[in-house]
Amino acid sequence: MGPNEFDPQRSLQVLHMTVFSQSFSPCGKFLAAGNNYGEIGVFSLSAALGPEATEDSKMPIVTFKAHDGPVYSLLSTDSQLLSAGNGEVRAWNWAELVKKVSVGLGALGEVDNSLLMAGGDNKIHVMDLESGDFKMVLEGHSDYIHCLALRDSAGECLSGSEDGAVRIWDFRTGREVHSIEVFKYQECSRPQYGKYISCLTTDSDWMLCGGGPSLSLWHLRSVTPTTVYPVPGCQREACFHQDLVLSVGDGPFVSHCHLSGDVKARIPCTPPSLYSMRLNYSSQEHRVLSVAGSSQN
Amino acid sequence: MGSVTDDEVIRKRLLIDGDGAGDDRRINVLLKSFIKWCNSGSQEDGYTQYQRMLGTLGQCEFSMGKTLLVYDMNLKEMENYEEIYTEIGQNLTAAHEKIAECKKEILQAKRIRKNRQEYDALAKVIQQHPDRHDTLKQLESLDKELQHLSQIKENVEDKLELRKKQFHVLLSTIQELQQTLENDEKFSDADEHQENQMETENGH
Repeated sequence: MGPNEFDPQRSLQVLHMTVFSQSFSPCGKFLAAGNNYGEIGVFSLSAALGPEATEDSKMPIVTFKAHDGPVYSLLSTDSQLLSAGNGEVRAWNWAELVKKVSVGLGALGEVDNSLLMAGGDNKIHVMDLESGDFKMVLEGHSDYIHCLALRDSAGECLSGSEDGAVRIWDFRTGREVHSIEVFKYQECSRPQYGKYISCLTTDSDWMLCGGGPSLSLWHLRSVTPTTVYPVPGCQREACFHQDLVLSVGDGPFVSHCHLSGDVKARIPCTPPSLYSMRLNYSSQEHRVLSVAGSSQN
Repeated sequence: MGSVTDDEVIRKRLLIDGDGAGDDRRINVLLKSFIKWCNSGSQEDGYTQYQRMLGTLGQCEFSMGKTLLVYDMNLKEMENYEEIYTEIGQNLTAAHEKIAECKKEILQAKRIRKNRQEYDALAKVIQQHPDRHDTLKQLESLDKELQHLSQIKENVEDKLELRKKQFHVLLSTIQELQQTLENDEKFSDADEHQENQMETENGH
């Protein structure tokens, strides 16, 4: 099928496509995006952002079918791209080789050469990237896990799940250090949206979490919520950047907020609802923020 | 038709401009007039031609002087522009450096702002809790009250013990007295009975 021929099925697919996850390559020159059809598209940043970019250079340079179900999570290590979909995690060399690895799903995290996989079975599996065997299993959640965050400074990881709790686990002992039930705190809870935690990120002493309850900033040492952000809708992804908090979720905008709680800017975007946000720190000339979500209807 | 008129135009141009333009023509004309003058016969004509030639020579010298000055001027302007060019280049690099420094400063300022905001956020939470000094003072006063009250309690208990003991003493003394009185009565009854018996015996 040439690029100029009209393929009605493909156009229908594009109409209903939702991008769930993104990841920048370790060199910072490429962006991989995973959608709800199980395909991963790789875009070249230098072609799309350069001065002579055309419509064609903004199309993916490679598209391949990675999983049977939607690709919910993508993660880049130093030389590989790991993708997680329904029931399996696959690793692809950024030089486009395929290597099937093992079973897990939902959310991916990487620390110290081990891979953390968490998802539908309510547990977090820690796997060693070199040897491929499972080192630990962290159990404790009562419902499936939506998101993972790593706290390298303390050797801990945080997980947020559908049961409304954020649990902090210690890697060395493999046990839970803390369990924070966000929806039980008056100032954060929004019972009309539910209690699930869909976005989690940490910055050594501080943690951002949101989802059903509103997006809130927590001080981890004292485990107290310090600021609640007045962002409407459920947030799907948030991150710290310099002195700001960026978050995306329901609604066609990226919210920039100060740590103190006021919303500094709300940048509108085309997708009506955003699922994924990534900052490209690994490249100097293509330092971009990329957001992706559902397609415009 | 076009080519013919072109040829005509070229021929006309060559006729008019055959000797080149401006200064070149002047020099050619001078040369031709010099040759004519050398070949001319009469004195007056020759004199006027001579004057004319001097005039043309003067004009040539004048235009040469002008051209030399213009050349000097161009050289000087080139130098000037080179200077300005290097200066601008230096300014550019300086500005780049300043921009880089300012960017670093901005990052630093943003970090400071972030720290301040974190501090503020924690301070807000801390404010919600009551002051430590006040709580300590409250604790101290409560402690004192507690001590005071416990002392009072001790005193009251002591008093109670004392009163109990006193009452006990009182009651036991009363009981003893009762016993003694009962005993006395018994003895005095027994005595009376004996006396009555002795009297009846004596009466018979």
